[in-house]
Amino acid sequence: MILLPRGNPVKENINPGKVNLADALGKIRQGKFTGYMRFDFPEGTGVFIYQEGRLISALFENEREHLIAYDGISRTFDESLSGNGKLNIYRLSTELAHSIHTLLHGEVLHKGQDLQLIDIKSLLIRMREEKRSGCLRIYSKEHIALIFYRDGNPLGFFHDGSTDIETTADSSLSVAKEPGAKVDVLVTRVDGEKKLADLMETADISGMWGAAVAERQRQREEQENAASKTLETKELDRRQKTQELFKSFAMAHLGKIGSLLVDKEFDKLKLNGGPISDSALDDFYAKLGKSAKLVAGSSKIDKMLDDMKKGFKGLS
Amino acid sequence: MEMFQVVLGIFWLIAGGVSFYFSIGNARVWTSIAVGFFLILVGEIIPGAMPFLPGLNNPYVLAMGHIIGTLSILTMSHGFQEYYVFTRTLDSEGSKLHVYLAVVGVMGASLVFLLINPTPDESVLRVIRIVENTNWVFLSLINIDLIRKIYLNVKDTPISNGFVAFMVVFACIFLWKGSQLYIDVFSLDTKQHLINYTISHYSNLTGNLLASLSVGGTFLYLGKLLR
Repeated sequence: MILLPRGNPVKENINPGKVNLADALGKIRQGKFTGYMRFDFPEGTGVFIYQEGRLISALFENEREHLIAYDGISRTFDESLSGNGKLNIYRLSTELAHSIHTLLHGEVLHKGQDLQLIDIKSLLIRMREEKRSGCLRIYSKEHIALIFYRDGNPLGFFHDGSTDIETTADSSLSVAKEPGAKVDVLVTRVDGEKKLADLMETADISGMWGAAVAERQRQREEQENAASKTLETKELDRRQKTQELFKSFAMAHLGKIGSLLVDKEFDKLKLNGGPISDSALDDFYAKLGKSAKLVAGSSKIDKMLDDMKKGFKGLS
Repeated sequence: MEMFQVVLGIFWLIAGGVSFYFSIGNARVWTSIAVGFFLILVGEIIPGAMPFLPGLNNPYVLAMGHIIGTLSILTMSHGFQEYYVFTRTLDSEGSKLHVYLAVVGVMGASLVFLLINPTPDESVLRVIRIVENTNWVFLSLINIDLIRKIYLNVKDTPISNGFVAFMVVFACIFLWKGSQLYIDVFSLDTKQHLINYTISHYSNLTGNLLASLSVGGTFLYLGKLLR
């Protein structure tokens, strides 16, 4: 779970499976968007960070994986097409977008420390003394706040609904006071001033999206084929059981020739790919009854057909 | 003897009626068999009714009696062959109407054939009768074997005992027609003092009576089995 505070919401709760993400990323680029796209899936979380239309960071993370750049984009596309995701887009300031990038790619020094058990003041002093760059992430069940540091000096605060780094600590402190609030300490050695590469310049986003769509289509077809085969097997099994049941009734009423007549009429039964049903069997009963007239009387045949109909209902 | 002919006629009327009724109410393959047995009535009644209906003493009528008799055994043999094929392949085809029309058509063609030829005299009628009885004798034997095979194929069906009855019917017919053929081939009717003639004559009458009874009885029994 990637914990990031919400910036200024642009779009929320979109199903990314219903969006052509290649086109969407292209539009975001053209619109010189700054902020981040957050994808939440059952299988993990993807974050794409934009700075003035440039895709400066892509990440996909879950408990087992930490995929960045092209791998992160590709995996996010794959998960999006599963249709079980949620996409939120938040606008941020250029500086904050950059800070979030360094935050996401930073090293976790402390994780999930309970604020009631940690001496937050000495932690801040140590950050200053060790001239750390990075971020303190304070979060509760409801809210998140970030305190950014560069070379041991606090840069500012960022919390839900902010689009830029703020200088007042009110919101951050209020999160720290919420019951069960925790803190993560993340440090980074990334040069904050360095201009980051645009992943969309070097990556074939349309190609990656196309590959993800094709793979999803292949998986879907595979699933459909497997489901269809399972259905076919079930139907074949049901058909065989019905045939055996009918043969046993025909054997009892008409002898061996009755059983052979059932086999013959069953082979001729036209189901047109559909399941065996009462209506599909009507023609079978009529033809079997006609053939059986050569070896038995109407009362015997009617009794046999009644037994078959009841037996088939019992199977259904 | 005339009284015996009347009794025979009545029995054949009953047997023919039952078999014709049977042909209407049952599966197509039974039609050929039942119509064949019904035709015995036609072939048998014509000569049998002669003493009572002198107007029928016409060579064409007599010739047609023998021809219909021949058609009778051919039709029922065809029916048993079809039934045998059904028991082996479970396939049956055709329609009842086609059977009726084919029989009527062959009868009509036979009549035309008689009419375009010289009027049949005694010797011609005798030859036609020998042809009829020869067909009956050999096809009866063949049918007994065919029905035995049918019986083996359907022996666990409700109808199976009906085929045993048919074997009895053909045994009676063999006795009836075989004795008449023997009389004709050896012209025993001109040597009536011989024991051979006496035995053959009474075998013929007994076979005829038993055949009429067994045909009627068999179709009634079949009717019961196929209820």
